Amino acid sequence: MKCEDVRPKLTAYLDGELEGDRGSAVRGHLRGCEACRTAANDEAALRDGLRALPTLDAPSGMWAKIQTQLADAEIADSEKPGWRRVLARWNPQHWVTPRFALASGAVAVIFCVWAWRFTHRDGGAQVAFQLPRMPTIVTPAPAPAPETSSDDVAAEVAAVPKSTSDSYANAVAELRQLATTSRASWSDSQQKQFDAKVAELEHDIATSEEGRPRHKAYRTLIRYLERAASRDEVAFADTRATP
Amino acid sequence: MSATLSDDAQLIAACRRGEARAMEMLYHQFKRRVFGMAHRIVGPNDAEEVAQEVFVRVFRGLAAFRGDSALSTWIYRLTVNASLSYLARRGRRQEVGDETLADVPAAPEVSRDPGLAARIERALAELPPGYRAILVLHDVEGLSHEECAAILECRVGTCKSQLHKARARMRELLGPIGGTPQ
Repeated sequence: MKCEDVRPKLTAYLDGELEGDRGSAVRGHLRGCEACRTAANDEAALRDGLRALPTLDAPSGMWAKIQTQLADAEIADSEKPGWRRVLARWNPQHWVTPRFALASGAVAVIFCVWAWRFTHRDGGAQVAFQLPRMPTIVTPAPAPAPETSSDDVAAEVAAVPKSTSDSYANAVAELRQLATTSRASWSDSQQKQFDAKVAELEHDIATSEEGRPRHKAYRTLIRYLERAASRDEVAFADTRATP
Repeated sequence: MSATLSDDAQLIAACRRGEARAMEMLYHQFKRRVFGMAHRIVGPNDAEEVAQEVFVRVFRGLAAFRGDSALSTWIYRLTVNASLSYLARRGRRQEVGDETLADVPAAPEVSRDPGLAARIERALAELPPGYRAILVLHDVEGLSHEECAAILECRVGTCKSQLHKARARMRELLGPIGGTPQ
């Protein structure tokens, strides 16, 4: 055993904490090493000296001073508002245990998952969070194509534009009727402008090519009729600008 | 042991009820050790102030004392913490001059070196506060490593290691003491 192995063990050896042959090995080294023996003697003398330090008695007037401080503190407590006393008693260390923290984290995760699923389920929640909108007339979906045999695919494809145009035409008719009802309350100039605009847009429909161009013209007329039927200010912006 | 626990429990209950006699009994039971620890950690000039602070904390904190540790361990922990906090507030190193050491009573039973007690007190005051605390608890007050670890809120191994370093530092400060061979 070398000196550098013995020195760290001296404290434990002198306090009787080395068991079995470890204590014996240290003792054996001390027999032959004067430097370590001196170090051990010094540490033992220090330990004994520390243990022999006198017991110090507290000053005689200390108890009276403590009682005075306690009385002052109790009087101060009685003058505190109730919420401050509650706050002073609150000690999160008592209940913020690892188990509590884990449970809180689990609850937070469950809430986040629930909230995410709630806001992403079929857009249902998104509808719920939308602001109320002005009621508008929704363009009806294209009518289903007439039943054809599964072999006549070409006829089925050809029938699609026609049925779409019919759906648009139905929507236009319905909106036209609504707008006509509103028209009775408009001024003469507004009525004239409305009639002129509708005639212009109908002309566009009639002159446009069957298919996408005609559908586009239909949609323009439908949007105009929607605004007119709901007395949208945009529909008469030009009229109001005219003196 | 159970009698001690029972006594402690009764004493605590009586103190919580504000019984003056029980409070005074508790004070007299712990005053020497509390004052002694504070004296050797913060020095003689401030020891009384720290000891008073400890007892005020003890009596005001008894309502929240849950008995996770022994009453003595809790009180010594409060003492060490209050002393170290006091030192931290006052400054890292304590100023202890010869005039204050003159107030320290000499050890009555040190036969080898009559001046050793004063030298040890002086060296103790020169130690870093952490080393001072472990030396006071283990060597001066004679508490076990387990008790010291509970008071200092560290592992027993850490406690032993700190004690070894503290003694080594003390030996450096004291120089040869000249004990009799073991």
